[in-house]
Amino acid sequence: MTKKVFIFDDNSDILELCTLILEDAGYEIKTSATSNHIVDQVSAYMPDLIFMDNWLPDVGGIEATQELKSHPDLKNIPVIYFSANNDVSALAQKAGADSYLSKPFDIQTLEEIVKSHIGPS
Amino acid sequence: MKNCEALIIGGSAGSLDVLLKVLPAIDTLINFTIIIVVHRKQGMDSLLCDLLSSKTTIKVKEVEEKEKILPRTIYIAPSDYHLLLEKDLTFSLDYSEKVNYSRPSIDVTFQSAAEVYTNKLVCLLLSGSNADGVNGLITVSSYEGETAAQDPTTAQVDYMPAQAILRANIDHVLTIDEMAAYINALN
Repeated sequence: MTKKVFIFDDNSDILELCTLILEDAGYEIKTSATSNHIVDQVSAYMPDLIFMDNWLPDVGGIEATQELKSHPDLKNIPVIYFSANNDVSALAQKAGADSYLSKPFDIQTLEEIVKSHIGPS
Repeated sequence: MKNCEALIIGGSAGSLDVLLKVLPAIDTLINFTIIIVVHRKQGMDSLLCDLLSSKTTIKVKEVEEKEKILPRTIYIAPSDYHLLLEKDLTFSLDYSEKVNYSRPSIDVTFQSAAEVYTNKLVCLLLSGSNADGVNGLITVSSYEGETAAQDPTTAQVDYMPAQAILRANIDHVLTIDEMAAYINALN
């Protein structure tokens, strides 16, 4: 079965680029520009991996990740925190994310971090 | 057109997908310059260059200020600057006000290139949700350059190419499948 990645970011260009790259690599991708109702959104798709932007409107990335990590059915889905913020590592830790990715990143780094968490497509 | 010196491709929403389909089929021995101006937000320029590079063996690079324009190279307009072409065949980047709510504005690049390349210029407008680029195409035609637009029925967002066809007396309306052959024949 195709492995699924759910990307949360309010920048539509990032969503489009990451979708094109990861679909090319053989993964199934869903995107969202908001982390509101995060539990409902993630439960409805049940991805193998999540990318979470730091700055999201209303509910930010930290709160959304914490919500996922405290949910019994969703806490085991790896969350990769991604941000252009210099403190991305500290932010990821605060959120309880499994890993982080500094923006900007290149195609190889994106593909490798996905593969390292859920394996090849 | 034969003996084309520059092809400029403009696009907005839905254009990246077209570029990824067309680039791999473009002949690596083209002897003209390709310039891509797509609307996008700041911050992901390197990833865009990286992605387009992965689809072709032609050199792909983001434009730098005052850089000389070379053939057999695909240049990407950086986000947040207008991209202009100078008579001495160099690029210049301009941070003046947005045009059509856009920076880079496709109109600005098409119009500036029309003055430089006149009848050796081809401009192609792809999918998008506003009419940026249409006035530029009208200018390109007035300098006897060639104009083309994506067939709106093949566009994710048809407004931009549809406006071009309606207002700019386009020379060629191309489906995505027809674009690479058209571009390769410009040599």
